[in-house]
Formats: sequence, C-alpha cells, structure tokens
Amino acid sequence: MTAADGYVLIALCLIPLGVSMLLFLVPTSQRSSIIALTGVSSLAMLALSLYTFFKYTFDGEQFQGVLAWTWMQNVGLLGEKGIQFKVGVDGIGASLVLLTGVVVVPATWVTWKIQDRMKDYFILLYLVTAGVYGAFVILDLFFWFLFYEMALMPMYLLIGVWGSTRKEYGAMKLMMMLLAGSIFIFTVIFALFTHVGAGTFDMVTLLNAPKGVGFQKIMFPLLVIGCGTLGAMFPFHSWSPDGHAAAPTSVSMLHAGVLMKVGAFGVVRLGFQMMPEGGAYWAPALVVLGAGAGLYGAISALRQTDMKLLMGFSSVSHMGYVFLGLGTFNSIGWSGAVLQMTAHGWMTALFFLLIGGMYDQAHNRDIPNFSGMAKQMPIWSIFFIFASMASLGLPGLSGFIAELHIFIGTFRSYPIVGGLAVLTAAITTTYLIRILAQAFFGEMNPRWAHLKEITWMERAGAVVLAIAMLALGLWPSPWIERIAPSIINIPGMTL
Amino acid sequence: MDQVWILPAIPAVIFIICALFGRLLPRQGDFLVILGGLVLVGLVFSMFPGFQHAYRDGLFAPDGSNVFAFDWVNIGQGFFTIQFSTYVDAITMVMLPVVTIVALMVMIYSVSYMHGEPRYFWYYAVLSLFIAAMLTLVLSGNLIQLYLAWEGVGLASFLLIGFYWERQSAAEAAKKAFITTRIGDVGLLIGIILLWRATGTFDIQSIIAAAKSGAIDHNYLTVAMLFLFGGAIGKSAQFPLHVWLPDAMEGPTPVSALIHAATMVVAGVYLVARFSPVYAEVLIARDFIFYTGLLTAVMAGTMGLVANDIKRVLAYSTVSQLGFMFVALGTGAVGAAMFHLFTHAFFKALLFLGSGSVIHATHAQEVEQLGGLRKKMPWTTATFIIGSLALAGIPVFAGFWSKDEILAATLHDAPMWTYVTLAGTALLTAIYSTRLVLLTFFGEPKDPHAFDHAHESPWIILGPLVLLATLATVAGFFALDQVGQALGFVGGIGQLVYLHEPHHFTQPDWLLASIATLTALAGIGIGVAFWHGDARRAVAARAWAPDLHALLVNRYYMDKMYQGIIDHAILGLAGLVAWFDKRIVNETGVDGGAQTIGYFGYRLKFLQTGRIPNYALGMAVGMVAIAIVAFSS
Repeated sequence: MTAADGYVLIALCLIPLGVSMLLFLVPTSQRSSIIALTGVSSLAMLALSLYTFFKYTFDGEQFQGVLAWTWMQNVGLLGEKGIQFKVGVDGIGASLVLLTGVVVVPATWVTWKIQDRMKDYFILLYLVTAGVYGAFVILDLFFWFLFYEMALMPMYLLIGVWGSTRKEYGAMKLMMMLLAGSIFIFTVIFALFTHVGAGTFDMVTLLNAPKGVGFQKIMFPLLVIGCGTLGAMFPFHSWSPDGHAAAPTSVSMLHAGVLMKVGAFGVVRLGFQMMPEGGAYWAPALVVLGAGAGLYGAISALRQTDMKLLMGFSSVSHMGYVFLGLGTFNSIGWSGAVLQMTAHGWMTALFFLLIGGMYDQAHNRDIPNFSGMAKQMPIWSIFFIFASMASLGLPGLSGFIAELHIFIGTFRSYPIVGGLAVLTAAITTTYLIRILAQAFFGEMNPRWAHLKEITWMERAGAVVLAIAMLALGLWPSPWIERIAPSIINIPGMTL
Repeated sequence: MDQVWILPAIPAVIFIICALFGRLLPRQGDFLVILGGLVLVGLVFSMFPGFQHAYRDGLFAPDGSNVFAFDWVNIGQGFFTIQFSTYVDAITMVMLPVVTIVALMVMIYSVSYMHGEPRYFWYYAVLSLFIAAMLTLVLSGNLIQLYLAWEGVGLASFLLIGFYWERQSAAEAAKKAFITTRIGDVGLLIGIILLWRATGTFDIQSIIAAAKSGAIDHNYLTVAMLFLFGGAIGKSAQFPLHVWLPDAMEGPTPVSALIHAATMVVAGVYLVARFSPVYAEVLIARDFIFYTGLLTAVMAGTMGLVANDIKRVLAYSTVSQLGFMFVALGTGAVGAAMFHLFTHAFFKALLFLGSGSVIHATHAQEVEQLGGLRKKMPWTTATFIIGSLALAGIPVFAGFWSKDEILAATLHDAPMWTYVTLAGTALLTAIYSTRLVLLTFFGEPKDPHAFDHAHESPWIILGPLVLLATLATVAGFFALDQVGQALGFVGGIGQLVYLHEPHHFTQPDWLLASIATLTALAGIGIGVAFWHGDARRAVAARAWAPDLHALLVNRYYMDKMYQGIIDHAILGLAGLVAWFDKRIVNETGVDGGAQTIGYFGYRLKFLQTGRIPNYALGMAVGMVAIAIVAFSS
C-alpha cells in the first residue's frame, strides 16, 4: 500500500459523511433518488474496503497509506505536529475496514423497505458508518475520538425514533452507558497526551514514545472500561440486549456487527498498542473477564425467548471470546480475537437481518410462538441455520477459525480457562440448536400462514454476508497474513 | 497416491452443484451423485495396485506417507501453522472401500426408496456432502483437517436425521444427535489442542512420533488421549453418550445404513485406530477405552433384546458392535478392530437396507405389526437372514471371522472375566438377531393391513441388498493369509493393518472359533425357543421379570436422567444466571444507578426554591465561609 492509497482511506470516511450531507438536499418524496444514491455509495464503500484490504500487504511498515494534514499546531500545549487529520491502517485496521464494507451493503439494502422517513434514517445511518470507518482508519487521537462519538450519537435517534419494544428505554440506556464509557476514553486520551508530552495527538508518535509503566498500569483498566462498555464486556454489557431488542434492523446490524468491534478495536489500538506494559499487566484480568463473559452470556442465552434478546446475549458471549483472546497476549490468541471481530460481525449482522425480515411481518419475536417455519419461509430458514452453524463454530464457516485460534492461544497459558471456553462453544450449540428445533422444525404453526418469504433485497444481503463468512471460514490465510505481522509488532507480545 | 485429494473433491463439487441447482436438473440431480459414487469406487479400486506395490516394497509400510497440500494458516512465518495434507496407509485403505461401496449402494437404493419425497434433490446433495466430509476425514494427515471433516459429517448427519423435519420427533432426534455428539467434540478439540501444546504441531504422524519418542510427559499424554477419546465416545455412540443413536433412526433408512451404521459412527474407531501407537504408550487410556467398549457392548445388547422398532433393534446392535470394536482397540488389537469395522459395515448396511425394504413395503416398522413376510418378500428375507447370520457370528459369514478375532484378542490380553462377558454379549447378539428375523419374517402376520400391503421391493432395491449380502458372506475371508496373498498382499488383513499388534492374527484359532460358533448357535437356539411361533415363552419371560423389562425398555433410564439434568440442573442454572443479569446487573446496577442519580437530582432540586432571600442567604453564608478560610491561612 502506497501513501497515495491514503486517499482511499479518506474516501472511506468522506463518502458516507458526504452522502449523509447530500441527502439533506434530496426531497423526502424522491425515494428512488435516495435508493440510488445510497445503493451506489454503499457499493463504492464495499469496493474501496475490498481494495484497502487486498492492497495492504505487510512489507515491514506497519501503518500504510499514511497521509496527514495539520489542522492545529503550536498553540498552547500543541507542538509542531499538534492535531492532524491523519489516516493510515495496519493489518488489524484493514481487516476491520473490510468487515465494515461488507456489513454496510446489506444494511443499506434492507433499509430501503422503511416507509417512515427513510431519508432521515439514512442521514443518521451514514453518519454512524462514517464514524465507524473513521475509528478504523484515523491515526490521530483527537479526530479518532471525534469519529468515535460520531458513530455513537445518531444511535440515540435511530433507536428512539425507528425502534420497537421499549425503544425509549433502550435508546436512553444505550446512550447513557456508552457515553459514560466515552468519559473514560476521553480521560485516557488526554492523559496519554500530557504524559508523553510531545505536544501531539499523533497516534504513531504516541505509540512509539516511551511511557511510564506505572502510568500504563493505571490508565489501561480505565480504557478497558471505556472501550469495553462499547464492546459489551461483562459487567458493562446490559445495554446490549435491551439496545438490540429495541433497535431497527439495519441499526442492529451495524451496531452489533461493526460498532461493538470499535470498542474491541479501541482496546487494541489505544490499549495494547499504546500501553503494552499496562496491557501485559492486566491481561490475566481480561482472560478472566472474557472467559467469564463467554460463559455468562451463553448460559443466559439458554433462557431467552425473544430472538433479539437471545442474540444480544449471544453477542456478549462472542465478544467475551474477543476479550479472552486479547487477554492471552500471544500471537495466536490475538489472531483469533481479531478474526473473531470479523467473524462475529458478519454472523450477527446476518442474524439481525433475518430476524428483522421476519419481525417486520409477524411483529413477534418470541421463539415459543413459532414452529415449523422452514415450511413457510424456507429461504429464511436456510440462512438462519447457516448463521447458527457459523455461530456455534462449525468448521468451514467464519466462527470456527476465530474460536480455534482463541482456544489455542488460551490453552498455551491457561489450560483450564481454555477448557471452559471450549465448553462454552458446546453451550452455544445447545441454545442455537434448541431454537432451530423449536422454531424451524416440527409442525407449522398455522398462525403464521400469512408470512411471506424475506424480500429479494434481504436475500441478496444475506447472500453477501454468507459469501463473506464462507470465504473467511474456508480460506482464512488472507486475513491471517495481514493481521499477524501487526500483532507480532506489539512490544512484549509472545509469538 | 499423491492425488488422493481428488476423492473428497468429487463429491464436494457435486454437493455444490446439487445444493444450488438440484431442483433445476433433470431427475433432481440424483444421477450426478450416483455417477460420482461410481467414479469414487473405481478410483478407490484403481488405488489398490499402487498400494500393493508400495506396501510390498516398504515404501510407506507401515506408517504411510503424508502428502503436503497447503498452509491453511500460518502465523509468524511458520511459527504456528495448520497444514492440510493427505495421508494414506493400510487403515485408510480399509476405510476407503467401506465408505465408497456402501455409499454407492445407498445411493442406488435411494433412487427407489426416496422416490417422490419432497426435497429429493436436497437428500442427494447432503449425501454428497457427507461423503466428501467422510473421505476428508479418513484421508486427513492433520488433526484440524480431521476435526473439520468430523464436524462436517456431523452436520450432514444432523441434516439427514432431520430430513423429515415436519415430524416433531425427527426434529428432536436431530437436535439430540447434534448436541450429544457436540459434547464429545468438546473433548476431541481439547485433546487436539493439548497435543498441539505439547508438540507444536497438528500433523498426526509428527504427534505420533513425538509421543513414541517419549517427548511428552506421560501423565499429560494420558489426559490428552482421554480427551481425544471423548470425541470418539460422542461420534461412535459409546456409553455414556450413546443415547443419540437409537433416536437417530428418525432419518430415512438408507441414511441410517450409510451414516449410522457403516461409516460415520465408526469415525471414532478410526480415530482411535489412527492413534493406536500413542494409545499403546498410555495404557490407562487404553484400558479406559477397553472398559467403555465392554460396558457399551453389554448395555446396548441387552437393550436390543426388548426393542420393538425394527430399526431401533439394529441401532442398539450397532452401538453394541461398536463397543466390540473399542474392546479390540482397548487390547491393542487394531487389526481386529478395523477388520470388524470392515465386515460390520457390510452386514449392518445390509440389515438396515433390508429393514428399509420391509418398511417401504409395509409402511410399518414395529415388529408387533410385522410377521410372516417371508412369503411375500423372499429376496429381502433371504438377504436379511444372511445379514443376521453374519451379525450373530455363524461361520463362513463375515461377522464370524472378525468377532472371533476380537474374542481371541480379549482372551489373550485382558482379564478372563472380560472374555466371558464379551462372549455373553455375542450370545445376546445371536439372540436378538434371531428374534428380529423371527418376528419380522416368520410366524403369522400380526397386522393384516400391513401384510396385505406388503410386496417384494423392486430390483433397484434388491440389487444393493444382493450385492451387500455377497459382501457380508465373503468379506470375512480377508482374514486368511492365503486370500490376502492371492490378492497380491503380504497376507491377510490382520498382517496388513497394524504391525505392532500384540496378538498378531494370521490364522484363526480353531478352538476359540468353535467356542464362538457354539455360542452363536446357542443364541440362535434360545432365540428360536423364545420367539418362535406365538412367542409364548418370551411373553412369559416378560411377565416373570417386569421390572427388568421396564429397565431395558426405558434404556436404563438414562435418557430420562439426561432430560432431567437438562431441565432442572442446566436450565435451572441458566434461569439463575438470567435472573441475576436481569435483577442484579440490569435493574439494580444499571437502572438502580440511574435511579439513584435521579433521586439525588430530585432531592437537590428543592434547593432551587426560586425565592431571592434563600439565594441571598446562601450567598452570604458562602462569602463568610470564604472570608474565614482566606483570613485564617
């Protein structure tokens, strides 16, 4: 990747932002224009994401496509570099850019069926998208935080206006918890800035600057609380089930699929990459929290009957694996954690797409109310079974390769915890297969005879996600090649 | 040999074609699958000359050769790699014909049996998926690849057990099978990772070499190998995870023949056989396998005595025979285990397909509705009897040879009482197979409706039956050195499979064989005595010990116990955790925090009275306080 490719990264931030602004000019009544605009731009984002991912090849330089413009310098504490608009990705960022690109396209497609104020919905949705892309590609803490917040704020309106099931409560809770987390992140950012004292928010400078071990030990847990809240880390997860239950389909997709990964990515970038010694010190705590959350989420999910609540707890469980992998602090566990971000993102986006496609017609998500749905909605059921298989870690689909690395990484240092993590996968199987047997198989419940198969756009979206999941599951090398060198570069990382 | 990857690739491609476009193809694509099956059988047989040469010239005997395929995962330039590779040795060469021949028979048979079913294309597509996964499994040179295939066959099994998913019982059975085997797979995956942790590789041959050289701590290795065996317990339906296999009979009968009798369920046997050099190092683990197999063989045999569903009897019999194979593995007689796997695959597939022929003709599968069918279905009856004789262990037929080897191995390398127990189980086997034959094909028809409906099956069903019956008759001869030499090998199957065998069978031990034959004949005699005609003695026996009968009919209450554990212990714990999350974390912690802040806000708001004097007072107090602080310092 050359420096010129940095323009692609900038485009990734600016396209959704620009579309969002442009939509203000389009009259609400012109649905077809809105659809055309968002359709083209989402495909453009996917194309650029693919370009970024495949163009990134590790050649000794960790951050590639680096471009910077100084925004503010030599004012007050700010030095020569000060605040820059700086972009660039490493292997981890590149893989998450691809994750985002693949989720945005189906999220856009399924939104087209919204009748109520679709334009406003897209304005907000694309603001979130811009924020997420920014969080993955920006290399300046000031702008990083700006984009991070940009990804959070529109959630409140999206859930509060277009949501369902206690939407005001869900929106408020989600917002309050995530903003409380932001306070911690904000604190850490300024602490880093002053501690290093180089007068810059440039991430690469901060990354390479020496930092006191005591400082790192204090700041790292604060950051984990802040970013972990967004990553649905136990015990800061409770916004996730309620928030997802309330959110409209594409918001759930984008939120569970991508935004939660921004939280985990924050732990990687601001946490381990900036404060490796602090990370190493607290890593065992992450192992305990991660494995605990994995088990806790899975066991809670056994008793959920609302499909979305179930997915919310399932997400807690799967994100627990991510933190477990990060806690192992070795290259295998970490590769698994980063792969799991992608794997979980696609899988959970597919789940929410499908649940949304059914809920829009049935206005019911209570699993015991359904049975024999495979008869009424075969395509929907096939995709649901596919997503379940990925979620329970069937080899050949995305979840397995990620979980395998996490398990192995865990076993290297903590065999007992590793055993528990493998057991969690069996519990995951149990709660997913139970829904399949209940809702999809057996005699058809005549109550749902009026339900139609999911729409063509939903099918197309599901196909996009399924192809991505198969690709990662069958041929993980492209991801590993990009992720592993960036991971090994972290000081103190066990190979 | 270097191109064996083609074997799984063919059905994999056919699966993709049939799954996506099966509906559009003429005949829904079944001919494509059968063609693939034929090609596979041809390819496998074309491998034999090369294998013979390689074996004779010692090119890879006895440890086979590993053909590297590609790096699936590579972290840190080779620090952590998962390499896909294929591996062929004598054990593989036993598995390949079993898988391909039985698969081909089942495919042909299904043309008639599954005719007119909805989702006919899907049936054939999943069948292809299964064969692709099964061939990958037996050709794997790498444990992760093996695990991948292991789960792949599990998925195919799940989809096929649940093929009639409109039936609630089929849905439940599919669920039970998937979850139960998955519990075993937890053990398998832990075992794989533990082995990797000790050796740094997933390559099976490297792991075996490391274990034999003593590079792994002995206790650690024991634990790892026990976990690995956990996978075999689940997949091969051994105690205490055997509960899924009888229920798995909800699937279409040809599937039961292929997956739940001949191939997938022996994956566990294959796994343990593959790692037999390592198990020879850790005798505690091997003893554990031995006693697990013995217990399973006895338990399943007794349950088979009282089952009434014709397929369930066969399922219990399968579990029991798998127990026999593990007993052999537990004594280190890998050759005997693989031999029994080989013969069992043919005669049990024959029995299942025969029962399918009966079900197809009568639409009944409870023995209480059958009887007297020999007049209407002579071919089915004849082949079924051949299969039963093979199962019972009557000489000439295949099961006799292999079961005899297992009994001999037990007598040589295990306590005497285990030999007696196993011989007793062989007796049980003969009894329940006789009972099944008598109740189904002899006596008076019990359900005239079903009997009137009965007719001999078409040739597309009988053809596979006849072919399998032939195999069930001759497959045992491979035990003889002369037969092996005539085919160009160094000797019989016992010489071929596993050279480190403690009791190396070259020729059958005729004394033991006589005892086994007498046992089998006695079993048949008991069966005839109890169930011949109106089965008067059997009814009397049931009335004599109703509790025992209830115990067996209820499968030792194990299914009920598991259901109780799931309903009360696991779901109870889950309810507790869910309650904790809802009440403590969510409502007390998060909402409570918000409410506490809200409460303080509510309290503090009364300070804002809106009256000037109050504010003025506050200001005055504050200024005085500041003044005091300022002047005092």
